[in-house]
Amino acid sequence: MRLVQVAGWLGSGKTTLIIALSKGLSRKGVKVAILVNEIGAIPVDGRVIQDYGLTVKDIGGGCICCQMAGSMMKTLRLLREGPDPDIVILEPTGIAVPHAVKEMVLSVATSGEMTLGPTIVLFDTTRAAKLLSYETLQGVITTQLKDADIIALSKSDAIADVDFAHAGESVRVINPRAQIVRLSVSNGEGMAELTQAVEGMAVQA
Amino acid sequence: MASLTAKDRVMRFLNGETVDRPPIFSGMGNVIKPVLDKYGINFAKVHRDPELMARAAGGMYREFGFECAVVPFDLGVEAEVLGAKMNFYDDVEGLLYPTVKEKSVKNADDVRIPADLEHAGRLPVVVGAIKALRRELGPDVAIGTYVLGPFTLAGQVKELDALYEESFLEPEKTGKLLEKLSDFIIRTFRIYQDAGADYFTLREMGGTSDVMSPRSFKSLIKPHLQRILSEMPHPSILHICGDTNAIITDMAECGADAVSVDHKNCLAETRQKLGPKAIILGNFDPIKVLHKGAAKDVGPAVIESLKGGANAVWPGCDLWPEVPKENMEALMKALKEFKLTVA
Repeated sequence: MRLVQVAGWLGSGKTTLIIALSKGLSRKGVKVAILVNEIGAIPVDGRVIQDYGLTVKDIGGGCICCQMAGSMMKTLRLLREGPDPDIVILEPTGIAVPHAVKEMVLSVATSGEMTLGPTIVLFDTTRAAKLLSYETLQGVITTQLKDADIIALSKSDAIADVDFAHAGESVRVINPRAQIVRLSVSNGEGMAELTQAVEGMAVQA
Repeated sequence: MASLTAKDRVMRFLNGETVDRPPIFSGMGNVIKPVLDKYGINFAKVHRDPELMARAAGGMYREFGFECAVVPFDLGVEAEVLGAKMNFYDDVEGLLYPTVKEKSVKNADDVRIPADLEHAGRLPVVVGAIKALRRELGPDVAIGTYVLGPFTLAGQVKELDALYEESFLEPEKTGKLLEKLSDFIIRTFRIYQDAGADYFTLREMGGTSDVMSPRSFKSLIKPHLQRILSEMPHPSILHICGDTNAIITDMAECGADAVSVDHKNCLAETRQKLGPKAIILGNFDPIKVLHKGAAKDVGPAVIESLKGGANAVWPGCDLWPEVPKENMEALMKALKEFKLTVA
């Protein structure tokens, strides 16, 4: 199993991306499981789950570092013994920071049980200036961006090119090493790149 | 010193008095599967039945000698009282902690503290569990309880993006919300005290430096924690997750009798900043050490915390229920045998 994390601030388009990625991978014959903190938070209806052969699992609540870690362990084991997906997409909600989630995943996964795929962090380009200027938000946002292997600049179709370029420059300063992808789920821009990365991008633990 | 009961040890320790050895306890959720299985308790039901809750909490003392009985076990009690809808995963295989399915607050005016608070939501369950523990284990074991801090609770009842944005753009509005939630937290603690709880942990995970700048913690959250800690029952412990050394001095200034830190903290730095008299609790990793670790490695790992500067070892967070029996036994053995001069 290969685990991919899709993070980002609320409203950045995580759920939309996860559903689009899952459908795209499923069409290629890749088995996908989606893990969320609260199953009601991700509007994947029964028809989509059935049509695309998805597994959607709830890892429950609790303090992100510890209770979630425990649920994660059990869920990964159940997935391996059951549907045995090729790709597991984790969407931690709330204020989880990707490096903490990554550490937690690495600490709970037994060797050989899974490989680590990229951490994709979405950044809403239509609210770039706001998100980076609010002091109370800045810590979370910049931490998320710093943790990213891929920064997906979302809603690229909804913003003027010059503003998009500014958003890109801002995130590049925060994370010089991440791959930056221009993303619009609605018109498909960036989806091929992200799908390829989900399937095969090598990442450092 | 005459032989101390587990309760004496915890209470003397938290009151800054001499003890024979560091107590082995927690202020956070610590029910584990060996107890649940032995007593035939279903995890989804344990959060909603006072007798089951008490039996599970007391089981940690009865089966392992863990020197406390702490209720509740999940982080949704307060939000539910304030109108949030919960998911208890009755029909799901495995251990899943309850989640908040639907939040209930947009602003401070939406916070309605029930007039009959003691009988609202699941407070009667926790109160009932405390009373049952008092009846059955009162003289022997300290009964602990916890309530979420105001910012963490705000994140449970209000959409997080709205909370963060408001806290920057209209901090006075967030301040009003935290003020009302603080009133609620103080009243809840007092209800638990009246029921018979002995010590009280205020859990403000939302204040972690992983997500909140120290400056924001100081201006936005600290004043409310100070107020709560001055009006809630004692002895009290303030717990914040993550690496809190950037805010540890502020935490100490909030006025709790002890501070609790998790495994990401450098204890030596915490001790250096707080000085020799502060009571510091922590900080082993409950997943890596107690759940996933080998039994032979549990002892050395937890002793590191004592050598590192903690006055007593307690887990950095809730115990994950699937802690193996032998690991819990190894924890108790190592800490009981540790010789430490305690001032």
